[in-house]
Amino acid sequence: MAEDEDETGFEEELDDGSGGVDVGHGRRKRLFSKELRCMMYGFGDDQNPYTESVDILEDLVIEFITEMTHKAMSIGRQGRVQVEDIVFLIRKDPRKFARVKDLLTMNEELKRARKAFDEANYGS
Amino acid sequence: MADPARIKVDDISERTTSATEEHQKSEDTEGVSATAPPAQENKDASSQDQLKQEDKPETATQEDEEEGTSGQSASKRLKVEPEKKKEKRHKVDEDEIQKMQVLVSSFSEEQLNRYEMYRRSAFPKAAIKRLIQSITGSSVSQNVVIAMSGISKVFAGEIVEEALDVCEKWGDTPPLQPKHMREAVRRLKSRDQIPNTKYKNILFH
Repeated sequence: MAEDEDETGFEEELDDGSGGVDVGHGRRKRLFSKELRCMMYGFGDDQNPYTESVDILEDLVIEFITEMTHKAMSIGRQGRVQVEDIVFLIRKDPRKFARVKDLLTMNEELKRARKAFDEANYGS
Repeated sequence: MADPARIKVDDISERTTSATEEHQKSEDTEGVSATAPPAQENKDASSQDQLKQEDKPETATQEDEEEGTSGQSASKRLKVEPEKKKEKRHKVDEDEIQKMQVLVSSFSEEQLNRYEMYRRSAFPKAAIKRLIQSITGSSVSQNVVIAMSGISKVFAGEIVEEALDVCEKWGDTPPLQPKHMREAVRRLKSRDQIPNTKYKNILFH
């Protein structure tokens, strides 16, 4: 089918057309299959998304994380990834920036709440 | 001399005593660091935005004057401002929370399911941590993992939403097909929303 051809074409693209012998990305065990299915449903797709689409999305997410990590390693403190670097890289994208700020604030609040709770327990 | 500035300083002291929220807010955005506005502006009503924009050019010079001439009132004002700002943000949050509650209470069952999946789905922290550590070669803090999984989810959402747009535009039906995903990626790439460090743009060739 035309779709199958397109699918292998896409994977070859990822490997820079290395003739299909070393299908690096495609052969790695699927890390996020289950979570990505739920996520795609949540974002508007069908309740059972196609496996090929989930695969493509997983490859994209892994590539995104890889790119961000490489960029973060090259700015700020070299060779390390720190939160400030990620926030700096994301500054132009309003959605992601707001999301990161929210997540970090909520995490701080939760830590504080847990600490207060533990101290209360320790007291009584 | 400096009469126009003087007049404006009187203006500002009048405004602070009247304590209207809009004016306070416009001054706040001048005094507070730049990271606060982007998060807030998403929640602001459009009318407040307009007021903010009108007041900004005026208050820009006034803030400096105020700090120079009457240090005491300025510091007092600075103490009061964060409280009022927190109150205001609290109020805006409450409004938003109420609206969300009204909305969610009117969801059909299928919509509720989808909303639950949307809120609950997340990338496993362990896998993300392993992935980042395999790239950096050194350990990363927990906050990094939290931030990275958060942005990855937003990223996945952007692609799926764009793919759904493409799907609708091409007259197809939901289960998204790889061709929709690929067209979505192509569109996002042209908008620079997909990071790519593989090819450098040579400006003058």
